[in-house]
Amino acid sequence: MTDWHLDQDLLDRYDRGDLDTGRVMAVEAHMLACPHCRFRVHVDVAWTTGNWAIVYDAVHAPRVGPAQRLLTRLGLPEHRVRLLTATPALRWSWLLATAAVLGLAVLAAVFSRDGTDRAGLLFLVVAPILPVVAVSGAYGPPADPMYEITGTAPAAGPALVLWRATAVIGAAVATAGFAALLLPAAGWYAAAWLLPALLLCTGTLALATSVPLPLAAGTLGGLWLAGVLGVTGFRHEPAVPLVFGPAAQLSYSLAAALAAIVLIRRRRRFDPGESR
Amino acid sequence: MTTVSIRRLGKRYGATTALDAVDLEIGTGVTGLLGPNGAGKSTLLRCLATALAPDTGSLRVHGFDPAVQHERVEVRRRIGYLPQNPGLYPNFTAYDLLDYVAVLKEITDTGARRAEVRRVLEEVELTDRAKTKVRKLSGGMRQRLGLAQALLGEPELVILDEPTVGLDPEQRMLFRALVSRIGEHRTVLLSTHQTEDVGALCERVVVMRGGRVIFDGSPRELAGVAEGQVWLSAEPPQGNAAYWRNADGLYRTLGARPAGGEAARPSIEDGYLLLLDSEATTAGAATGVAPTAGAATGVAPTAGAATGAVTTAGTAAPDAAGATTAPGVIR
Repeated sequence: MTDWHLDQDLLDRYDRGDLDTGRVMAVEAHMLACPHCRFRVHVDVAWTTGNWAIVYDAVHAPRVGPAQRLLTRLGLPEHRVRLLTATPALRWSWLLATAAVLGLAVLAAVFSRDGTDRAGLLFLVVAPILPVVAVSGAYGPPADPMYEITGTAPAAGPALVLWRATAVIGAAVATAGFAALLLPAAGWYAAAWLLPALLLCTGTLALATSVPLPLAAGTLGGLWLAGVLGVTGFRHEPAVPLVFGPAAQLSYSLAAALAAIVLIRRRRRFDPGESR
Repeated sequence: MTTVSIRRLGKRYGATTALDAVDLEIGTGVTGLLGPNGAGKSTLLRCLATALAPDTGSLRVHGFDPAVQHERVEVRRRIGYLPQNPGLYPNFTAYDLLDYVAVLKEITDTGARRAEVRRVLEEVELTDRAKTKVRKLSGGMRQRLGLAQALLGEPELVILDEPTVGLDPEQRMLFRALVSRIGEHRTVLLSTHQTEDVGALCERVVVMRGGRVIFDGSPRELAGVAEGQVWLSAEPPQGNAAYWRNADGLYRTLGARPAGGEAARPSIEDGYLLLLDSEATTAGAATGVAPTAGAATGVAPTAGAATGAVTTAGTAAPDAAGATTAPGVIR
């Protein structure tokens, strides 16, 4: 605190921005030490508050990543992009697990001694299950610790479940698709797992209108594995045409469409506030 | 003004009755739900928060019925809910988490959403912690963040399930001050089993046990339930009366007067304990078990307690100046 204070003319020129840099620095240095002069400076509260808000948000608001920019360019509204990109961010564990399993499958294919057949079949059988595992963590307990808060928000309900499921299925399919490209002599079967994956995902969601999501995912994933092993005995020759041939793919499409109808008709069951 | 209207609400989990024909009207201010574990407090709050559908009865929040799908959305637009285990994502920063919940609460405009996040952070005094990850916040701060997410969108009804559990005294005091401010213009319904919370915060207290409402009145009226039944004595009482030794080395006895006992001013906890005791007594009487302290102490035993149908006026309680206040309702 000092007994000397800025004269009014100097303060007015400071307010108007008429001072050179050296004088501005001198005035501000004085004001730092002199509350009396500090409070004589005109303050535009609205301007200060507005700027403070801008600075605060710039420092604290979530960073916009490449995925968010891409989805925004594709035309999705900002709030929807926020929901989609936040969802996989909750689930690094399954994304890493998916990548690890696929990485191992690719390594097995590359280094297998008896050719790529068995490794390719392993990939085809495992890949459809990965999106289902992702879906099982998309909504509800125990995967989502904030389930009660999420489930009682106005945006809760079937739409949120389907948006979240889409986000995680997209991430899992992209990972599996990338792994398929790395398979040696991948051929047509690099994409043969996609329709079974679609069926298992829609089937899981449809079944989840009656039982908890993880149970639905476990049941259908288990049935898929048991079915493939039961039919083929894990031998490549009968398995690929039987389980992944054109007739099988057609039946997967029809079954997926049926599951989608069930899902649409029973979608309200995803709301925790709905009577059972 | 009535915010919440509950009529004959019932909920069962298998063979267990969680809610048994609950009737309540709740308006602006802070209302406390008090009761032991398993009393049905959380089930009632979850039904109100639309996290759970009741089996029987009806529920209205601001006139909207959560059983009807499109009205349920209207209810959700008007409530803020802090569950007992909010499970806030540990790797989110406080700002990210609130921004995410704000999207779920349909605040879709980016500018409006950020202004709302800043507002609630300031309201719960976490403005300087916006960049801190949830896992690095103290228990009290995490609970305030939970409260902040409940306040997003300025809900008219705020539902808090055991919000002060696990907080140290300083954090609890801060949390109470926040809730008290919020309750000035909104309806706040909080569950607790801490009678201190009720005394510090609530204008009205509803005591539940076994899925039923057994008392509805002011905290002072709840304390009044123990009027004339709280004693201080130098020696412990004989028999099986409930008593404990206080900080002054005197024995505080509830129920019949012990030898050498002097009457003491009843606390909310005294009233609550005697109320639960009288409830046990009433239930016991209905099943042929001999009544204990409750019946002997003059707390009105409610014959209807066995069925939850009959309502009996409670005892009048003297206030701080010695005047008599209106009685609470023991059901």
